[in-house]
Amino acid sequence: MPFINEILNYSSLSIVGLEKNTGKTECLKYVLKRMPVDSRRIAVTSIGIDGETVDQVTRTQKPEIVLPQGMFFATSEAHYRQRRLVSELMDVSDENTSLGRVVTAKALTTGKVLLSGPPSATGLIRWMKQMQRLGIDLTIIDGALSRLSSASPAVSQSMILATGAAYSANINTLVQKTAFIVQLINLPLADEEKRNLFGTLEQGSWWLDADGVLNPLSSATSLSKDIRFKGMDRCSTIYVAGALVDGFIEKVRANKDLRQVEIVVRDFTRIFVTPQLFRLFLKAGGRVTVLQKSKLIAVTVNPTSPSGFVLDSDILCQKLSEAIELPVYDLLKN
Amino acid sequence: MQLKTVIDSPCGLRFMLDKLELQSGFARRCLLDMEMLTQAADIQASYDVLHQFAHFVDATDRVHLSTLLFKLQALKDIRTTIQNLEHHATLDDIELFEVKHLAILAVDVKKLLAEHGMEQVVDIPDLDEVITILDPDGLKMASFYIYDSYCQQLKDLRSKMRQNPELNDQLLLEASDLELGVRIDLSKQLHHYATAIRQALLALADVDIYLAKALQMKQMGLCFPVISQDGSTRFEGLFHPQVKEALAAVGRQYQPVDISFDLKPTLITGANMGGKTVVLKTLTLCQYLFQFGFGIPATSAHLDVKSHIFFCIGDEQSVEKGLSSFAAEMKNIDAVIKASRNERKLLALIDEPARTTNPTEGAALVAALLKVLAAADMSLLLTTHYDIEPGDARCLRVKGFDNGVMNYSLVEVHDGEVPHEALNIAQALDIDPQWISLARDIINKNERIL
Repeated sequence: MPFINEILNYSSLSIVGLEKNTGKTECLKYVLKRMPVDSRRIAVTSIGIDGETVDQVTRTQKPEIVLPQGMFFATSEAHYRQRRLVSELMDVSDENTSLGRVVTAKALTTGKVLLSGPPSATGLIRWMKQMQRLGIDLTIIDGALSRLSSASPAVSQSMILATGAAYSANINTLVQKTAFIVQLINLPLADEEKRNLFGTLEQGSWWLDADGVLNPLSSATSLSKDIRFKGMDRCSTIYVAGALVDGFIEKVRANKDLRQVEIVVRDFTRIFVTPQLFRLFLKAGGRVTVLQKSKLIAVTVNPTSPSGFVLDSDILCQKLSEAIELPVYDLLKN
Repeated sequence: MQLKTVIDSPCGLRFMLDKLELQSGFARRCLLDMEMLTQAADIQASYDVLHQFAHFVDATDRVHLSTLLFKLQALKDIRTTIQNLEHHATLDDIELFEVKHLAILAVDVKKLLAEHGMEQVVDIPDLDEVITILDPDGLKMASFYIYDSYCQQLKDLRSKMRQNPELNDQLLLEASDLELGVRIDLSKQLHHYATAIRQALLALADVDIYLAKALQMKQMGLCFPVISQDGSTRFEGLFHPQVKEALAAVGRQYQPVDISFDLKPTLITGANMGGKTVVLKTLTLCQYLFQFGFGIPATSAHLDVKSHIFFCIGDEQSVEKGLSSFAAEMKNIDAVIKASRNERKLLALIDEPARTTNPTEGAALVAALLKVLAAADMSLLLTTHYDIEPGDARCLRVKGFDNGVMNYSLVEVHDGEVPHEALNIAQALDIDPQWISLARDIINKNERIL
């Protein structure tokens, strides 16, 4: 598989499922099995609780994660005690999860483990830094979009996206919906100056005038039908620290002075906008950029939905690949 | 009284804590749990150690210092684990890892301190034997598992596992029994060192705290206090770090003041905006800093050890308790009076008592308060705008406006007469001129306005 080699060009990878049962865990297993653990130091973790033996939502069987000998992994204390391999403890973090602290260890035999890593974005970043200190070459994050997790997979350098029939049972809808997420993942980075300026702002909305002066976008305006503020004709950029939603884009669009504005968001997971509205905004000359971005390496599909419905794998791969101009793989089939 | 119970005193103690660059969360917890020192010998001992750390911080190059600070970041609170060890419990892998991690850290820090002749200053027990127990292969690495060399049978099982991964589940079950046996044995051996491990943990937190205090002294320009033998307190060049920083942020300079007081009541008068409240805040802050072993924000300081510190600042309305500002204040001062009858060596700093009531009764309350507390074994500092008979009290006065500039220094005067500068100051503040000139007329007409 070509994308295995590409993964090794980056120091971090997240594997993101668009929905439960889109084959994310299969994809993770596939990647882990092929990692060169003899020549590279590789660590794997999951955002939030994962690795349940039975899916907590749909009650379908979930594969356990098998780690090859030599791989590093991070999980919660509770799950560490249930591990089914011999491992050497390397680090115990200060961070508490509902399952105890996050511990990092090295697998000394091949075996199964339940992964449940840092629950927050700062915790995840801290863990990745700690892995660097321990001399880890590559960190792999089992990410999740559909779950309530404040940790964003966008902190990783590269990404693999898992999609499938569980996301939509109609090939055309599935292709469209996935292509839109791919478009969001591929949004351009804001320029460096703006990244530094906005990176420290944790909340609220802000705007930059033509001279680069930062002003808060008062929250009072969010109740009115459109956005009006003094100096708006000189506004070049709006930064939204939280979620970017339809209502906000509509208000911006309703305003002649702001049609060609650049909207900056933290990363693609903060965008909750319908595809039609998003494209209308871009068509009218607006721009959307991000502070953090991952390089999308590949997309994998699981043509089987948890209800038993199966899509034609070849047609799905082909159509999706055409739409997103990236290789698409059905890992179970190959 | 623990530091955490007084940290939100309006004197600004939290600011000092926030500015303290502790490396570990555990050291912060230890510091907040610390009891206020009320014995001169304890305070002296604490400053003796801090002296050595201050010298160490000055004499050590930055690389060595940051190596030490970086190491201390790894300090973790493992008191639960140590407790388990003390109670003869069998530790699990994570707990054994924690013990090993701490032991290695303790040995490393001890070595770094010894390189600078500091090994006698903080007593970190020797944990080399603990490391030997948890590092059977002598790898000197801060990682841990039940090593093969603990048990030949376990070693054989594991090599079988590597050869036949399909048998893993069965073999793991057998291995877990053997591992448990090893853990029971290790826990038994480690039990003898539980006390030493606990001491090491607390000693490392101490190192973190002393280093942070020493660095803070350097950064903020704090001084070492002298413990007073005669009950008097003296400061030269006293400043409030938080106010100083706030002023610096707007490009203004803080004017340090000199002040002294003893067991006689001290009455501070002065114009509005003359810094009376800041003086009381700073004095309260310094007393706490002194009795928790911090550097003092002054160029020189002599302090007396007190058993209790009371800081009554007038504007504490207590809506939750349904008390008006007057009632809340009366209750606070009442607590001081009650304490003065039973306790010795008190310090009470009372900012403008009875200011929210009419001047006739207010002045009477203040004068009476001075009389009530005069006989007690305490240092009392009290600010007021009321004209009262000072009795035996010593009177200090803020110099006030001097060529249009506020002079915050304090001078000793021999009566309690208060300055009448409120109207001038209001005028300088650009307050409605009609209002102010009417007030002036009223005074001039000698109406009974006071």
